[in-house]
Amino acid sequence: MAMDEIVDGLSEVSCDVLVIGGGTAGPMAALKAKLRNPKANVVLLEKANVKRSGAISMGMDGLNNAVIPGYATPEQYTKEITIANDGIVDQKAVYKYAQNCYSIIEELDSFGIRFLKNENGDYAVKKVHHIGTYVLPMPNGETVKKALYRQLRRARILISNRYMATRLLKSADGRIAGAISVNTRTAEFLVIKAKAVILCMGAAGRLGLPTSGYMFGTYENAANSGDGYAMAYHAGAALANLECFQINPLIKDYNGPACAYVAGPFGAYTANNEGSRFIECDYWSGQMMLEFYNELMSGKGPVFLQLKHLHPDTIGEIESTLHKVERPTRGLFQQGRGVDYRNESIEMHISEIGFCSGHSASGVFVDDNARTTVPGLYAAGDMASVPHNYMLGAFTNGSIAGVDAMEFADSHDFAEFDSSEIAQERERVLAPTLREDGIPPNQIEYKTRRLVNDYLQPPKVTHKYLLGMRRLAEVRDDMQKQMIARNAHELLRALEVQSIMDCADMAAHASLFREESRWGLYHWRTDFPEKDNENWFCHTLLSKRDGKMTSEKRAVQPYVVPISDDEKDLYDKQRIRASA
Amino acid sequence: MSSPFESYDELDDADERLQAADPAERRVAIIALGHSGDPAAVAHLAKMVADPDAGVRQQVAMALGEFDGPDAASALVSLLVDPERNVAAAAADSMAEFKDPACTGVILPLVKHPHAFVRMGALRSLKELRHKDTLKPALEALQDADAAVRVQAIGVIGFLKLEESIPALTALILDPDAHVRRAAVSALAFSQMKPAAETITRALKDTDWMVREMAAETLGLNANGSLAVDQLVASLADEFWQVRLKSIRSLGRMRIERAVRQIGNCITHEQANLRKEAAAALGEIGAPEGEAFLALVANDPDPDVRKNARWALQQIAARKAKAGS
Amino acid sequence: MPLASYQTSVPVVVDDVKCIADKGCTVCVDVCPLDVLRISDMTGKAYMAYDECWYCMPCEADCPTGAVTVNIPYLLR
Repeated sequence: MAMDEIVDGLSEVSCDVLVIGGGTAGPMAALKAKLRNPKANVVLLEKANVKRSGAISMGMDGLNNAVIPGYATPEQYTKEITIANDGIVDQKAVYKYAQNCYSIIEELDSFGIRFLKNENGDYAVKKVHHIGTYVLPMPNGETVKKALYRQLRRARILISNRYMATRLLKSADGRIAGAISVNTRTAEFLVIKAKAVILCMGAAGRLGLPTSGYMFGTYENAANSGDGYAMAYHAGAALANLECFQINPLIKDYNGPACAYVAGPFGAYTANNEGSRFIECDYWSGQMMLEFYNELMSGKGPVFLQLKHLHPDTIGEIESTLHKVERPTRGLFQQGRGVDYRNESIEMHISEIGFCSGHSASGVFVDDNARTTVPGLYAAGDMASVPHNYMLGAFTNGSIAGVDAMEFADSHDFAEFDSSEIAQERERVLAPTLREDGIPPNQIEYKTRRLVNDYLQPPKVTHKYLLGMRRLAEVRDDMQKQMIARNAHELLRALEVQSIMDCADMAAHASLFREESRWGLYHWRTDFPEKDNENWFCHTLLSKRDGKMTSEKRAVQPYVVPISDDEKDLYDKQRIRASA
Repeated sequence: MSSPFESYDELDDADERLQAADPAERRVAIIALGHSGDPAAVAHLAKMVADPDAGVRQQVAMALGEFDGPDAASALVSLLVDPERNVAAAAADSMAEFKDPACTGVILPLVKHPHAFVRMGALRSLKELRHKDTLKPALEALQDADAAVRVQAIGVIGFLKLEESIPALTALILDPDAHVRRAAVSALAFSQMKPAAETITRALKDTDWMVREMAAETLGLNANGSLAVDQLVASLADEFWQVRLKSIRSLGRMRIERAVRQIGNCITHEQANLRKEAAAALGEIGAPEGEAFLALVANDPDPDVRKNARWALQQIAARKAKAGS
Repeated sequence: MPLASYQTSVPVVVDDVKCIADKGCTVCVDVCPLDVLRISDMTGKAYMAYDECWYCMPCEADCPTGAVTVNIPYLLR
């Protein structure tokens, strides 16, 4: 059989809870669902292989948001996240995370995931921020996936690798009924009927094009092409605050963080070409990114991560963590450039744009039980709207989703769906394989993402956006009528580019809806340069209604942790205006 | 179409595959057993620890890391003493993942093994087990000729958090190796009793800056840290800014008003990290005398220093207002 | 429109002497998040079939025989 040859086939299975995405939140959701009801069937579906998939395929160098007793309180954390998000936060979910995350750390520790400990066995929590102390390094973080996978095998979770989910199935009354997926190596279809479905499909990280021009050199795992966002959208779920883009500081040309959270506790900092600090903002946020962007664009750029003022022994310690975990090719990259941290600073830049609640606030809308607006459909991790939740949030909220979804499955029967939807979806998916001649997915993808960079990247200009949307519509037309896929692997890429296109449209639509500037660089609109609390102190929800993309406002839920005016002032006074 | 799910049948033909003539084929069979996650795989893997091929034995050592408990431990123990370095190293890494205290008895005898690498690996794996039987052998291992072994032994003792180990840890303050002294200071932090604080205070005068840094940091977290205020204040003149920084942080955390002047004197240091920490500590302490020092950095070139100074001034003002009302 | 293929130097290199894919090993192919590695019908060894690499390293880290090397893609180097 020729490589990745397309095979005609379709099978159907059913389960109680279907988890889509086996990266960080997904395995935890599957495990917790199974533990909740060991007799139930839990399927974990993954586009790659659960062993090494997702944002933490090669591990993680530390926790950025650990709320550990004695170092930080849930109240402090909730305040900090609220302020970092310019107040647009439903605190209940954030607070719940903050209350639960310590028990998740303990559980991960019992799985064999190693956190930095002092010689007395206590967690070695580090101080980075002014107010709370949230950073817990993971010097052996490369074992994360291995330890998780072990738990899945032990619980006998049904793991289905190399299947890409393409659409969700729903009943006539709007309840979730399952999903359709396609094998990435054979193009055979697998329909999974489920009582509850949890989406854990990661960020939309392949939206913008990295400045290197290498399509897969993205900040996020390049497999995270926003399929979850697209699927939730087509299923009619609401998506929150998509205009609050993800943009991150990076090593220039290399797609890994530098990373302030690892080097920061040791005394390293971000500096301009004069070697001086310039960032005022205390927490990783759009405000911080705006300060970063302004400095880059000013005469004081480029921007560097400065370590050379530290003792050589300290640098050695930082190096061993930076080069081993999360993005271990970092060491290889620096070596190739001949950079030695001891006498040279690391040039930094900013990443391409994307959606990711892990770092910002753009995700499928969920409440504090990880429920989306579609009954029986859940979301957790980078793609769900709990802001700034990072890896520990994916674990914690994945756990919440798993338990609640199993409870839902236990009290509901399978929902009926219209079986003609399967035939329709098959036709849609396979269309590129039936064309004799046309444009390959990589060209459609490059063009789409190049347009995203040219027109959608902040600063957001209305006129540019309107032009960009027109150009994107032209490419969409090409994609629908001319894209070809000559084997199953190319079909995988063809399906991914359709998710990317959907995300590009959503990014544009959501950004134009919010007529103000907020979240620093993430939503800096030149035509509306001011923050407008009177009209826009609200979430925005984007959804598909009668086949059309629509946006609406949603009130911020009353705070559970009140924030006094002088606390708000404390931060507001440091705000730097958008114009450099 | 074959099953869409990962199989759970790795053990079905394991015996046959493990006997393949080709060592590479045996390796592939071992990888599958490790992947299985099935505790029953341990018995199969244990049979392979004496395989003539070192690559196969290394694979066994890695695969056993997927399991926990005395059976996996005894198989790994025989691989930890393997003459081949790669095999022993893989075994040590796998053993470090153990969490089941029941492994203790199997590992303990290795603490007296003639090879330092084995002793170190054994002690490293005992830490997380936190079993009381490990105390005595670990205390003995504090006399080990090899410093790396002593460091691991300190970890075992520290994780147990038993007051009775304080004298032994205290004695290490005179150890010739700086890593050992630093580890001992870190381990002593579990005790909130006076003797531990006194020992850590002595470490503020260590010849090695990293030991002094650790001591300065640890005192801020100790209930008796306030007994060391004079010594911490003296450390504000340490030749290493790193040590001064941790001393400032500890004094700030403890809100030591009489340290304000000396902390204030650090606020014009060339190292921005130190200026920032000094500003933050003056705010935490909240004494009005801090204001004059904070004024010196109102126009500091570093925004982080300016920000911390602003916050500090706000905290002092808030305290004044409270006192006035 | 007719299609042409263009040359690209791929970042992942496999040492055929060390690789044991011909003995049934599929570790590197299994762990790749982008699914870009395949086993050659001709040599029985693993190779990079698609230049779509995130240079994340599991293929190198998990290879039992140390046969896989991940390089930084040329455009980034």
